[in-house]
Amino acid sequence: MSLMEEIIAAVDEMPPFPQVVQRAMQALAEPEYEVSGLVDILKVDQAVTANILKLCNSAYFGLPRKVSSLKEAVVYLGANQLRQLLLSGAASKIYEKPNEGYAVFADELWRHALATAVMAQVLRRHLRLKIDENMVFTAALLHDVGKVVLSTFVVDKYLAIESMVESGEYSFQEAEKEVLGFDHAEIGGKIAESWDFPPAIIAAIAFHHEPSSSPKEFRLLAEIVALANNLAVMVGYGTGVDGLACRGHDLLLQKLKLGEKDLEKLVLLFQIEMEKTCDIAGVSEH
Amino acid sequence: MSLVTIGIADLKVSNNPEDTLVTYSLGSCIGLAVYDPVARVGGLLHYMLPDSSINQEKAAKNPAMFANKGIPLLFKQCYKLGADKKRMIIKVAGGSQIMDDAGTFNIGKRNYAILRKMFWKNNVMIDGEDIGGNCNRTMYMQIEDGKINLKISKKGMVEL
Repeated sequence: MSLMEEIIAAVDEMPPFPQVVQRAMQALAEPEYEVSGLVDILKVDQAVTANILKLCNSAYFGLPRKVSSLKEAVVYLGANQLRQLLLSGAASKIYEKPNEGYAVFADELWRHALATAVMAQVLRRHLRLKIDENMVFTAALLHDVGKVVLSTFVVDKYLAIESMVESGEYSFQEAEKEVLGFDHAEIGGKIAESWDFPPAIIAAIAFHHEPSSSPKEFRLLAEIVALANNLAVMVGYGTGVDGLACRGHDLLLQKLKLGEKDLEKLVLLFQIEMEKTCDIAGVSEH
Repeated sequence: MSLVTIGIADLKVSNNPEDTLVTYSLGSCIGLAVYDPVARVGGLLHYMLPDSSINQEKAAKNPAMFANKGIPLLFKQCYKLGADKKRMIIKVAGGSQIMDDAGTFNIGKRNYAILRKMFWKNNVMIDGEDIGGNCNRTMYMQIEDGKINLKISKKGMVEL
C-alpha cells in the first residue's frame, strides 16, 4: 500500500463526527427551529447535555439562579452560542489526541484551532464580510484536522520535513508536500468529505494554505481561514512544531485595503475575544 | 521552586528567589525580562502590540498589551520592590514573523522597533536578545540569579 493509500484508509477509520452534533446543526439551520425537537436530539448524549448546563451556569454568564433543565439552557443560550459550544466540544475531542509525529502537545493543536476560529469570526464581523457565521467558525475550527491523521504517519519522515523547514526556504506545509507528496490540508479536506460537510467547508480546509487555488465560489471562505490561520500563528497561539514557518496570505487584506494599523486592531479585538473564549471553553491561553 | 506564568498581554514581578517566571508561545509578541542582581528583583512582560493609540480604553484596562504602556509599568513595578534602573539587566526575546515577502504581517518587527526606540530615549542598554526569525519561543527567568532560558521551536533550550 502506498503512503497515500494508508492514510486514506486511516481517514476512513476516523471516528465519525458526532451524530448528535450534526443532527443538532441541521435542526439549528432552520430559521424557526423547535426547541423541543432540539432538546430531543441533544438529550440522548449525556456529555453534551452536561456541557450545555455547565456553560449556562458558568461564571461567564453570571445568572442569578441555577439553570437545571436542558430546555431552559437551550432557550437561554440561543442558536449561535449553542452551535459553537457543540462544535467546539466535538472538535476538541478530535484534536486532543496525542500527536507523536508532530511532537506537539495535543492541547496545542486544539488551542491553535480555537484561536483560528476566534480570529476568523473577528475578521468576518469587523470586516463586514458577507458570509455565514457558522460556516466560518466550523471551517476555521477544523482547518488542521488533517494533522491529527497525518501525524501518526510522519514519525519517520519528520526529520526530513524539519530540515527542509530549517533551510528557511520552505514553509511547513510546503515541506510536507515535498517529502510526502501531499499535505495536512489535503488530508483535512478528505476527512471533512468523509464527514459529509458542505463543499465550501471542505474547500476551505483543503485550501487553507493555498486559498487562491480554491474553487472560485468558495474562495472567500478559504481566504478568511487562511488569513485567520496566519494571524493566529503570528501571535503565537499553538504553533507547536511548525513555529511560524507558515506562508502569509494577504490577498484579503489587499482587497479590503487594510494596512498596518488595521491589522493591529484586528489582533487586539482577537485577543479580547480569545480571552473570553478560553474562559468559557476552560482552555488555558498558553 | 514555583513556576509563575505570565499570560499573553500580561506582566509580573517578583523578589522571591524560589520563583521562576515563565511566558509561553512568543510569536510576534515580545518577552521583556528585567533583573536587578543586587536587589534580586525581576520582572517579565509579554506584550502583543507596539502602540496603545489604537485603543486607549483597552490600554487603560490592560497596559501590558502594549509596548508603550507595558514597558514603563514593568520597570516601575520592579522599582517598587527595590530595583534600581542603573543595575538592571535587560533581555529581550520574540518578535518573530511568518513567511511573508511583502512584510504585511510584520507586527513582530514593529514590536521590536518601538522597544529599541524607547530604550534609546531612556538610555537603557539591552544585555541579551534573541529576536526575529520564524520560530516561537518560551522564556524563563529565575529570580534567584536572573538567569534567562529560552525554549525555541526546532532548537530546544538555550541560555540567553
